[in-house]
Amino acid sequence: MIKPIKIGALAIAGALALAACSSSSSAGGKTLVVGTDLPLQGASADASKSTNEVIALVLEQAGGKAGKFNVTVKQYDDSTAAKGAWDDAACAKNAQDHVANVDEVAVLGTYNSGCAKIIIPVVNQAGMLMVSHANTYPGLTVPWDKGEPDLYYPSGSRNYARIIGNDAFQGTAAAQFLYNEQGVKTLAVLDDTQAYGIGIADAVQKEFEKLGGTVLRYSWDIKAGAINTSTFQKIKAGGATAVYYGGIFDNNGVQLVKDKTSVLGDNKAFLSMSPDGFSGYPALRAMPEAEGLWMTFAGKSLDGIKKGGGAPAKFVADYTAKYGYEPNSSYSIYGGVAMQVILKAIAASDGTRKGVLGAVFGGKQLCLTAAESVSGMGFCLNQQTGDIDSVTMTLQQMTGGVETDIKTLDIAK
Amino acid sequence: MSNTSVAAHTAVTNNRKWAIGYVSVVATIFVLNKFLLTYLNSDVQKFFNSWFSLSSLAEIMIWILMALGLNIIVGYAGLLDLGYVAFWALGGYVAGWLMSPFFSSLQFNFFGHARKGFEFGIHFHVLIVLILGGCFTAIWGVIIGGPTLRLKSDYLALVTLGFGEIIPQFMLNGSNIAGHNLTNGAQGIGGLDEINLFGYVIGTFAMPEKFLMVSILAGGMIFFSIRLRDGRLGRAWLAIREDELAASMMGVPLWRTKFSSYSIGAVSGGVGGVAFAILVGGVYADRFNFVISIIILSMVVLGGMGNVWGVVVGATVLSWINSIGLVQVGDLINNTFGTHVNFPSYQFLIFGLLLVLMMLFRREGFLPEARMRMVMQDEKGDVDKKVSDETKIASN
Repeated sequence: MIKPIKIGALAIAGALALAACSSSSSAGGKTLVVGTDLPLQGASADASKSTNEVIALVLEQAGGKAGKFNVTVKQYDDSTAAKGAWDDAACAKNAQDHVANVDEVAVLGTYNSGCAKIIIPVVNQAGMLMVSHANTYPGLTVPWDKGEPDLYYPSGSRNYARIIGNDAFQGTAAAQFLYNEQGVKTLAVLDDTQAYGIGIADAVQKEFEKLGGTVLRYSWDIKAGAINTSTFQKIKAGGATAVYYGGIFDNNGVQLVKDKTSVLGDNKAFLSMSPDGFSGYPALRAMPEAEGLWMTFAGKSLDGIKKGGGAPAKFVADYTAKYGYEPNSSYSIYGGVAMQVILKAIAASDGTRKGVLGAVFGGKQLCLTAAESVSGMGFCLNQQTGDIDSVTMTLQQMTGGVETDIKTLDIAK
Repeated sequence: MSNTSVAAHTAVTNNRKWAIGYVSVVATIFVLNKFLLTYLNSDVQKFFNSWFSLSSLAEIMIWILMALGLNIIVGYAGLLDLGYVAFWALGGYVAGWLMSPFFSSLQFNFFGHARKGFEFGIHFHVLIVLILGGCFTAIWGVIIGGPTLRLKSDYLALVTLGFGEIIPQFMLNGSNIAGHNLTNGAQGIGGLDEINLFGYVIGTFAMPEKFLMVSILAGGMIFFSIRLRDGRLGRAWLAIREDELAASMMGVPLWRTKFSSYSIGAVSGGVGGVAFAILVGGVYADRFNFVISIIILSMVVLGGMGNVWGVVVGATVLSWINSIGLVQVGDLINNTFGTHVNFPSYQFLIFGLLLVLMMLFRREGFLPEARMRMVMQDEKGDVDKKVSDETKIASN
């Protein structure tokens, strides 16, 4: 029998030998690393791939530099194939890896707020800047649940910024639209039992009740193909005149929309509305049952960016020319905006983590003008919270299988 | 010296060898990461951080702990459990409840190490939480196992499957139980306390210490698994696994023996759940799905059902592949051959192929237990003999 000590010794010797055989480190100017932390597997894989491509293009168009520093991107995957989504263990591992990579000065991500909750406290203690293009859970930056957001900042100072409005804005906008403009007095609010879905459903419920309306709250079954007709029967019996889908379309959205139509009728007979978790899905656009669905979008839609013309539209055209297809959604473009923020912070820094962090949370306030931003939205980052100081919200409606922009709301914070 | 005492002496010697081997590997990894790696060439550092990062190795230890727990239920006693993830979840939430500011209306600290400014909530010492996590899941093992372990094979599997679905759903929807928030639903419970061992604080970046902690837990479970297997209870489990009827005829109390395996297996799941929550810094209901139960079961089956070291190998290989292995191997292949294959997306294909090939050519697993190997080889021998006999008859 081979002794275990020998096996261990052989393994370690082999590993060291392999490492020794690898190429030697390159010399040259100082190159800083930006780590992107996205779910590269599962349902969000396409969106993440597109986001990474947008980030690469932004860096390429900046000549691979930020000020006097060369910049490269290192991609981290916070998902596992086994889960098919973000994975808490992968997020915890990435957090340690971000800090361990001494050349890395900032983290771009995450896509999922749950993953951000794990990574922020770790990189916070290392004094690293983190900028998200997609986290919408309010408690990451502003008081929400007890202890939030201080729970995520053990060092006592902020290191996390996001360039998108939180769920509270989207939920508030949706509730106000339904109550004030559509005259809905009893609203059924559904959630998909996931962090994002519950957060946004809570925000809609809170605002709708504040306005004086009545809310019937349910969760939908997110298992693929699960039938939810009994929930809609309850909604019908409860006297609601509209339904709000708080969640993402990936979570059995096809069946949900079909079940709603079969029990409550189409969107002319019974109004329905969703957050941006339902945006950008060809499968939804192709559904006749989705015709007339109202949607809110935190930011500008891809369609809005293209129609807006100027530099943002040119950027989308450049992307399409380079990769042969359009960005997956405007969230991908926001990934590019987050990269622009990081590049600007690096350019204004001395190339250290402390300097990059200080460029956002100290000294002069970091702003991105509408002319600079690849999304066409200008903003400044609040140094106390890390949130943007103005939020653009787009109201859309599904018409003829297209998410059509109805109007854009600029909400000042 | 009698045959029995010779066998016992051999077993002790073998166990000691493995113990030395295990301790050597863990100590080497600890020393390398804690003291040596920072002095080595940056390429060597990058190699280890990419291929064998300490976070991944710590995670592997958790999977080993889980797989060994399930091995007692499935590998030793032969009870098919398809809901083992429930114990992981229960253990994790014990850590969330007893080591965090989550129950903000309370303020209770029993040798815990609450973060500054977050003294509210419940804060027990980590060692107490590990024990309580094990006890809590053992109680749930008793509650679930008591009425259900009289069932056999398929029926038992279905009941455990149900248990594995109910508990995570409860955690996911437990933010409003009669007006009380017990689990914080999909948001999970974060901000777990740091570890304070007798004045030595294991902080966020103390990965070598955290690795050592989970390695000690996994090592303890290896020790208990081996000792239990070789003892009277372990032999009773194996007897039930091989032939329940024959075991009962020999005087083995079936229900009591099965019950003990289920409860002891549950303890391991609970302890592992606590350790995992500490590693991640929180507990999130999203993790606890059916796939996790199946992966743990696959670790047991592929490694070698009933063999502790086989299960350790199975858990190590599969969890490494799942966490970084496939990504690194994929990158290596892509960089070498200039391809752009997204290897992680083929994980289930590779996993499925591995299962099929193993079942075709090595059903007993990577490192099979001696009895299991004999059973499998006998069965294979019987089938081969039967096929050979039928061929002869046909040719005559």
